[in-house]
Amino acid sequence: MIAGRPPAERYTGSSVRRTEDLRLLTGRGRYVADIQVPGLLHCAFNRSPHAHARVLRVQTDVARRAPGVVAVFDGWQMAKLASAAGGMMELMGETNLPSFSLLATDKVRLVGDPVAMVVAETRAIAEDAAELIEVEYEELPAVMTAAQARDGSLPPIFEDLGSNVLFGPDQKVFGEVDRVFAEADRIVKARIAQHRHQNVPMEGRAILATFDQATGELVAHAATQGVNTSRQIIAAQLGMPLEKVRVLAFDIGGSFGLKFGASREEVACCAASRELLRPVRWIEDRLENLTVSGQAREESFDVEAAVTNEGEILGMRVEMVIDSGAYPGFAPGIISTIQEMIPGPYRMRALSFTASGVITNKATYVAYRGPWASETFVRERLIDLVAAELGLDPFEVRLRNLAERGQPPLRMVTGPSLAGLTAKESLLRMGEIFNFEEFRRHQAAMRAQGRYLGVGVATYIEPAPGPRPETPPTELEWARASLGEDGVVSVFTAQMPHGQSHQTTMAQIAADQFGVDFEQVRVVVGDTDQVPEGFGTGGSRFASMAGGAALHVSRQLRSQVLELAAQILDVSPATIDIRAGEVVGDGVPDGRLPLSELVKLARAAAAEGRIPQGTETSLEASFGFDGGQGGWSGGTHCCVVEVDPETGRVRVDRYMVVEDCGEVINPAVVEGQIRGGVAQGIGAVLLERSAYDEWGQYLSSSFMDYLLPTTTDVPNIEIEHLQTIPLDQDVNFRGVGEGGMIVAPPTICNAIADAIAPSGAVVLEQHLPPTRILELMGIIPQPA
Amino acid sequence: MIPITLTVNGQLREGSVEGRVTLADFLRERLGLTGTHLGCEHGVCGACTVLLDGEPARSCLVLAVQAQDKEVTTVEGLSGSEPLSALQRAMRDNFSFQCGFCTPGFLIQAWALLKENPRPTEEEVRHALSGNLCRCTGYQSIVAGVLAASTRAPLESQQEGSL
Ligand code: FES
Ligand code: FES
Repeated sequence: MIAGRPPAERYTGSSVRRTEDLRLLTGRGRYVADIQVPGLLHCAFNRSPHAHARVLRVQTDVARRAPGVVAVFDGWQMAKLASAAGGMMELMGETNLPSFSLLATDKVRLVGDPVAMVVAETRAIAEDAAELIEVEYEELPAVMTAAQARDGSLPPIFEDLGSNVLFGPDQKVFGEVDRVFAEADRIVKARIAQHRHQNVPMEGRAILATFDQATGELVAHAATQGVNTSRQIIAAQLGMPLEKVRVLAFDIGGSFGLKFGASREEVACCAASRELLRPVRWIEDRLENLTVSGQAREESFDVEAAVTNEGEILGMRVEMVIDSGAYPGFAPGIISTIQEMIPGPYRMRALSFTASGVITNKATYVAYRGPWASETFVRERLIDLVAAELGLDPFEVRLRNLAERGQPPLRMVTGPSLAGLTAKESLLRMGEIFNFEEFRRHQAAMRAQGRYLGVGVATYIEPAPGPRPETPPTELEWARASLGEDGVVSVFTAQMPHGQSHQTTMAQIAADQFGVDFEQVRVVVGDTDQVPEGFGTGGSRFASMAGGAALHVSRQLRSQVLELAAQILDVSPATIDIRAGEVVGDGVPDGRLPLSELVKLARAAAAEGRIPQGTETSLEASFGFDGGQGGWSGGTHCCVVEVDPETGRVRVDRYMVVEDCGEVINPAVVEGQIRGGVAQGIGAVLLERSAYDEWGQYLSSSFMDYLLPTTTDVPNIEIEHLQTIPLDQDVNFRGVGEGGMIVAPPTICNAIADAIAPSGAVVLEQHLPPTRILELMGIIPQPA
Repeated sequence: MIPITLTVNGQLREGSVEGRVTLADFLRERLGLTGTHLGCEHGVCGACTVLLDGEPARSCLVLAVQAQDKEVTTVEGLSGSEPLSALQRAMRDNFSFQCGFCTPGFLIQAWALLKENPRPTEEEVRHALSGNLCRCTGYQSIVAGVLAASTRAPLESQQEGSL
């Protein structure tokens, strides 16, 4: 790893050390819980112990009288202050939305549903008082499975929707499905389950809201992936004009898709501040975070692959059911991406995709790192099942089916162009890095000694940003840049880093493009009064979209500054340049003029009217980037596992990544993103599950029950970057935040399946904790 | 309310607390030392780890009154008068952390490890840090940072003027 200053003054592409670390390593970061405000109040929620019940009575008077309690709001009182309409899903254009309130009024719909809110002088008092609230419930049967939701035998969770089916079944057909199934030598069928698990950032949700009586403005310090999005929701739900809400964000303890917009509790906290005219903070505790913040990825897939005896996959039929949980979430919105991406980088000719969604009494379906990832899981598991059925090597089956780069580029059967695809190179390179033949010999030798070793491979692509769409995108990513009197270039972005090091990587790009030292760039995030429009960080959008915007805006500002300098110095712009923070070149007095001096001269010249009309004197530029020619991120992962047949424990012995995420801005940052994603994938397969019992009680509400991977579960991860195929003249950075988490689960499951295949086990699910392994191996009985 | 006296990062601090106030809340709310983070408040994640008389302890599981007359070191106290201690520099050079929320716990735990075992093997580092959760990094960068700190300079000189 290269630390410190890169050679030749080029920061982009080097592991420039993070600016964020000076504060984070010394305990001087500022997360929402760290902000100190005089007169701060704290809130806590009384939450439902039932998965599904009618609320008959909420008695708050004892809590209200407790010393230190400032206010208690039940659902009806809160409904007068703020509405739950206008939330994230409305913002995303969803229409089939039920009505509900921020705090439960008539009904509770999951364990942990907020029923009443206490605001008190300390967090401890608020929590104690929340327990003094008495709620009478009439229990209703809980809807816990897709089958229960679909058969209509249980009462609807939302009366106004009339049923627990949220949408579908909706079918979409690409290519000649019936024909390829008729042509196929064989049909390989499977039902594949994707289990519910969740984001679990180390910092939970958090907000500190202050209603400013002087300005009539509500200022919220939030833990959010996008301040503009949070602002829109807070304003809509509080019924305030947008310009009266300001959202600030600074350090955020991770998110992985969870902290988008503003949740019901967070908006209730804002409403309380406006009502009580005092600052109010909510810090979600771990129990709340695991129980109600949101969960992801509970889906089931019935798949059929039409294949030839040589292992060619002609097409697929997929029927998917997604469990959306109780309140409106990300489930309907993600279907189209799962559908589009399921062919992946493979050449299949036909796809039938049917999806339906159900509502259950579980936590809301939220986005989690690569929210559409189950397409990769299902396809990559299916490929191994096809290989097993045909007696072929899974590596070979992938190789036979991967699309080649061609001119004109091939298209996925679902439409997108595969221009610049390097999936095949990534697989071939993996075949060089890892000696599969040698491993097979070793595996057989170990097997003879009673040991179960396995290898797994999976290949994927990720639209980060994806190919340039045929119709120009309507949404641009903006960056603004300005040159200050101190010669510092400030870059403003709507991206909201929460671990991704954007303040470093964006400064690298801007420094190179503008011609200043890295230290001379300031990246401004997290203030709706300052940052440009844009929804925030998500969808591996930063590198290509925001990185591209930063590149272009810095270039634009640079040419503006050069033109202005040329006017002032009375030279041709072509003869001067900006290097290391100075204007240099022919005609520059002493050959060099620091930018800070130039700004002063420019101000004076403008004041004296010495600058001709038409020259931009603002020293500011703004650029909206459409993603340029776009392109795919992707690659191949491979891992080796050993399964202990005594305990069912899986050890990941080796993990290898061959990756193409375009031109790399900061290798160490990129590798950190990949490793973090793979670790989450290891957690998903071996440890993590959001478990409910049949009555809807949540069983994983502490870190004793919801297990995260630790230093002893995650091996060193070997990473190799492929040479990318540039598609755009200027911007070939591509997103990398999600890929690790998208492809690691099938890689690991394929390795486990390979290891335990001699026992006759067939793996059709993603979650493989020790007991499940022993069941699959026939060592302990399967549950009835 | 119970009066307490303790030494925090070398300074004598006094206060009076309810019996139920945890050391973590006391440090964060009464002393304004918000570098110590709370990731679970039930003793699993390790983000709240501080040194209590030189030994790592989970400050969410210790009551403030239990720290009476003890010496507490938090992440704010690791670098002394330097901007960064050698351990922190090594962590920075290795891009050890991302969001930074788990950071105080890992730094304190690593500090305690290196004090006891200045030249740990990778396995020893992984073992020593196995009670701390990080959701961002996959741990490799953290382990690399600790190993780099251990080879960079003997711990004694790292610690000079910085504890
Ligand atoms: S906050 Fe103390 S161990 Fe998690
Ligand atoms: S860096 Fe985010 S939890 Fe460790």
